[in-house]
Amino acid sequence: MLEKLEQIRKEGFERISSASDRDALEAIRKELTGKKSSLQEVLKSLGGLDPDMRKSVGMKANEVKNLFAEKIKEKEEELVAKASVVEGEIDLTLPGIEVSKGALHPITQMCYDLNDAFRSLGFEIYSEDDISSEKFAFDNLNFAADHPARASMDTYWLEGTENKRGNERLCLRPHLTGGSVRYLLEHGAPARFVYPGRVYRNETTDARHERAFFQYEALIVDKNVSFSSGRVMIETILEKVFGRKVNVRMREGFFPFTEPGYEIDMECLLCGGKGCKACNHNGWIEVMPGGVIHPNVLRAANLDPDEWTGFYTNIGLDRLVMMRYGVDDVRLFHSADLRFLKQFK
Amino acid sequence: MNISLKFLERYVDLPKDLTYEQIAYDLTMRTVEVENIINTADKFHDIVVGEIKEIKAHPNADALKVCIVDVGEDELKQIVCGGSNLTEGHKVCVSKPGAEVVWHGEGEPVLIKESKLRGEKSYGMICGATEVYLGDIFPPSDEREIVDFTELGIDCEVGQCVAEVAGLDDVILEVDNKSLSNRPDLWGHLGVARELAAIYKVPLKPYPTQLPQGLPEYPVEIQEPDRCPRFTATIIDNVYVKESPAWMKTLITNGGMRPINALVDITNFVLMAVGQPQHAYDSTHVEGDKIVVRLAHEGEKLVLLDEKDLDLTPDHLVICDTVEPMNLAGIKGGKKDSVLDTTTSIVLEAAVFTAPGIRRTTSYFNEKTDAALRYEKGIDTQRADLGVALALELFKEIYPECQIKAFTDCYPVKTENAVIDITQAFLDERLGEVIEQSEIEDILVRLGYEVSFDNGVYHCIAPTWRSTGDVSIHDDILGDIARLIGYEYFKKQPLKVSFEHSVNQVKADLTRKLREFLAFRCGFNEIFTYPWIDEKYIHAAKIDTANSIRLATPPAPELGILRSSLIPGMLEAIDKNERYFDEFCIFENTQVFEKGEYHPSTEEETLPVHKNLITGVAAGKNAPELFYRVKGVIEGMPGYCHFEPLTFKQKDKPSWADEKVWLNVLSGKKVIGSIGLISVAALTESGIKNVKAAAFEINTEMLVPFPSRTNEYQQLPTYPLVEQDLSLLVDESVTWEQIKESIKYMVKELKFVEEYRGKQIPAGKKSVMLSLKIGNDDSTMTSKQIEKKMNGIIKVLANKCKAELR
Repeated sequence: MLEKLEQIRKEGFERISSASDRDALEAIRKELTGKKSSLQEVLKSLGGLDPDMRKSVGMKANEVKNLFAEKIKEKEEELVAKASVVEGEIDLTLPGIEVSKGALHPITQMCYDLNDAFRSLGFEIYSEDDISSEKFAFDNLNFAADHPARASMDTYWLEGTENKRGNERLCLRPHLTGGSVRYLLEHGAPARFVYPGRVYRNETTDARHERAFFQYEALIVDKNVSFSSGRVMIETILEKVFGRKVNVRMREGFFPFTEPGYEIDMECLLCGGKGCKACNHNGWIEVMPGGVIHPNVLRAANLDPDEWTGFYTNIGLDRLVMMRYGVDDVRLFHSADLRFLKQFK
Repeated sequence: MNISLKFLERYVDLPKDLTYEQIAYDLTMRTVEVENIINTADKFHDIVVGEIKEIKAHPNADALKVCIVDVGEDELKQIVCGGSNLTEGHKVCVSKPGAEVVWHGEGEPVLIKESKLRGEKSYGMICGATEVYLGDIFPPSDEREIVDFTELGIDCEVGQCVAEVAGLDDVILEVDNKSLSNRPDLWGHLGVARELAAIYKVPLKPYPTQLPQGLPEYPVEIQEPDRCPRFTATIIDNVYVKESPAWMKTLITNGGMRPINALVDITNFVLMAVGQPQHAYDSTHVEGDKIVVRLAHEGEKLVLLDEKDLDLTPDHLVICDTVEPMNLAGIKGGKKDSVLDTTTSIVLEAAVFTAPGIRRTTSYFNEKTDAALRYEKGIDTQRADLGVALALELFKEIYPECQIKAFTDCYPVKTENAVIDITQAFLDERLGEVIEQSEIEDILVRLGYEVSFDNGVYHCIAPTWRSTGDVSIHDDILGDIARLIGYEYFKKQPLKVSFEHSVNQVKADLTRKLREFLAFRCGFNEIFTYPWIDEKYIHAAKIDTANSIRLATPPAPELGILRSSLIPGMLEAIDKNERYFDEFCIFENTQVFEKGEYHPSTEEETLPVHKNLITGVAAGKNAPELFYRVKGVIEGMPGYCHFEPLTFKQKDKPSWADEKVWLNVLSGKKVIGSIGLISVAALTESGIKNVKAAAFEINTEMLVPFPSRTNEYQQLPTYPLVEQDLSLLVDESVTWEQIKESIKYMVKELKFVEEYRGKQIPAGKKSVMLSLKIGNDDSTMTSKQIEKKMNGIIKVLANKCKAELR
């Protein structure tokens, strides 16, 4: 009897080891320890044995039963460790399931990056309407009465107003600067705010020129500020936008609404300032005109130029985005061409 | 404008160790942007002086000669040449291998190589003037003539670069004319020399300023002193048309003009030198021997050189003799004032015309001549002195036999010096640092100001050449000081950031949230289109244009209407993209316009009405699905963007929408936009063939953003909810809304699952599947309670919606 038990144990162990998955193991468990198992038969036949034999066979049978339980547990752990949720083959190189892939326009992306940067310096965000009067687009900004920019060759005047003057002559705004006086009239000084937007010029278009393009203008009006703060501000902003220090230089420039005016050039990021086609081989890109707000503009905003001063910075968004991505045709921005726009995830 | 460094040498000796890159840099930083640097000697590499030692006949060609030439190298070279004027012992122009020349003066440059010509070895090429860029300076008399320096009497050495011999070893700084608009004084090399002298602290060389004295007067009458504050006329006899000397032709070429003849070249040279436009009239053409500066009469004409007429109006200033206009003042000459081959006596005009009149007239005739370019920026009357003095010096040099017969200086209005006071305190504050008094005075004096300092105030008298509008207020003086010190030398001063108030702009943030919601959560791509839209798409969308705003001079005739909806732009974008994509979602957020009255800033200013719209389309194949997709976008919008929920109702069909499938979007009771399928007509008229589209358009100004996130926390259920699915059979006319409203109050949650029409469903009916959750607030539902509740729900559905269970 004891030999038979030993035989059952041995065969049982072999069966357990041969189990290939948990279902097979469960079947084996039933086969080895279930009611119809050889082990149960041995246990059932115990009654016919003499007491000594009964005791030793009984102990042995229980031992085998426990050994099976142990061995099955062991095997089960082994199988769990090796198991996969997926039955059968799976190709891990197949692409993942696509998430919805919309995108903001690259100009908007740049604009929001700048908004975040300026917000962190306490600037408010303001927007002027697209249509303005000559009064706000030119007169308030110290443009001479016969300044060429006022001509219909340069500015899009609205039908029926083109031969009027001042408040009554309306146009698609040719620059954002008119908005600065609107803000100051509404909020007074001190003020620091940005006013991004689209501007319009009557131009012949090509890869570098557009009739509708985007600007981003900032103005600070305060007491006791010096223009050299403008340069620090720009360095801070560019560093935030491009994620690294960008060298800038400040040089003489001229605009009717500033005195003195200056140009801020940014080191060409394509060539690192060594000179390339994009920067006309001089290592610098002209991105930001700016300057100290002209006394006549402060007067137009009902502010006393002896008390207040400040400075403008105007960023050409199209040029900056072109620089950021290496885009070579400004007209793509208004193309609505998804083959282009889908690239800016 | 081109600035020639050789030309500048007439006026200033710059420090010897300065490179031209440094000069360009300093001008860019302090005065005016140099866009380009051109080294004129570059194209003359390997083009040198050679001496012809021997001329032999070519064995195989009568028209060619074999020359033995010394080009300054170790051995003599053999060059085959067909020149008509080859002379032994003469110095000529030789292009060595590697040089680039222009064949017969035409086409692209060609590289010179050692070669064989009709069997004879030829080292390089003996060149004619037009082949080596010298056609203007040494014009050849016949096509086969080569440049013969010995014959031209030019001193040079064998092996010397020809650029040097011809004075073309110059550096040209190209300056963008636009950047000179506010600095009329810089239109001329003297002006640039003044700037450089001030930058590098070196003196200017003396230059002529003296007007002729003691001569008889020539009659000149100025009727419009406001338009012409000064007119000088100099009568010069015994002159004739001839070539200018080589040095002058070289400088004119380097300055960017072409030499013509000495009479014209002198006026152009003066223009380049001091920026004073001049005009030479043939004296015999001036009828009545008198010049009158007046406004044109109505209907008067100016006869041009090409016999065409220019129709004048009484706003046009003209220079006339006693009979008729001879030229359009300061802009363009007529036939009468031209210098001809027969001319022997001239009237030389050096006048000043004020800028506004010149600007009006140039834009009227669309004539931007070199003279007009200078006058329209405003030049000081004193500049005429420099023009006349230099012209007379040149006439005496080039025409030693000429006679100055008469001179008139009609000078009704003088440019006054601008006088400006500026305080030390103002400078200290605005410059952000204290600059010594001596340094400020030094800078201003170097720029031509007269300065005195008293009690903290600088009393500044600006030079006349800066007093025509450029310098007029103390800020201008501040600018001059700042730029001459150099903006890059000022200490960087960081901005102060104050924490007085937080920037909290919910309105401004709303459009950003809307855009980000559409892009990042709904998978839409943002586009930008122009505010002027092709009328084709406006008509396709059936948009009423009665209230539209139009451009006076649109980019194209069909682009005259400014948009009042963003839908037409969407149609155009679908039209463009459908050939590349089967399915896509796009949106745009910007302003649209229509007639009306709106005062954004002042009562005096009235603008058309502006609306800020956000508009999107989902394009693809399955129209109902596209519609529900767009509806889902609008339903999800308030939650993400934090404003009051939106509702839908059919009130007012948008013009672009499908007959059946559209809804207005409401905020409270106000209609703030619409959603719907784009109508078949709109798709067809836009040329859209492959896709259908659903659109939404919302006026963002009608959305009321919450001041902050306001989602309220809801207690989690203490007792489990029971989920039950129901499949109902209802009439086609029963809407989801009716089903929802009828049992809403009985359930904790209610969700639409799907709608089904098919074989098992009788005609006129549809199956609606829904999923709901029920539960007790104070206990777990027992199965009896569940059964009772469900029976109740089914009963209500049967009563209110005639629904049967499937």
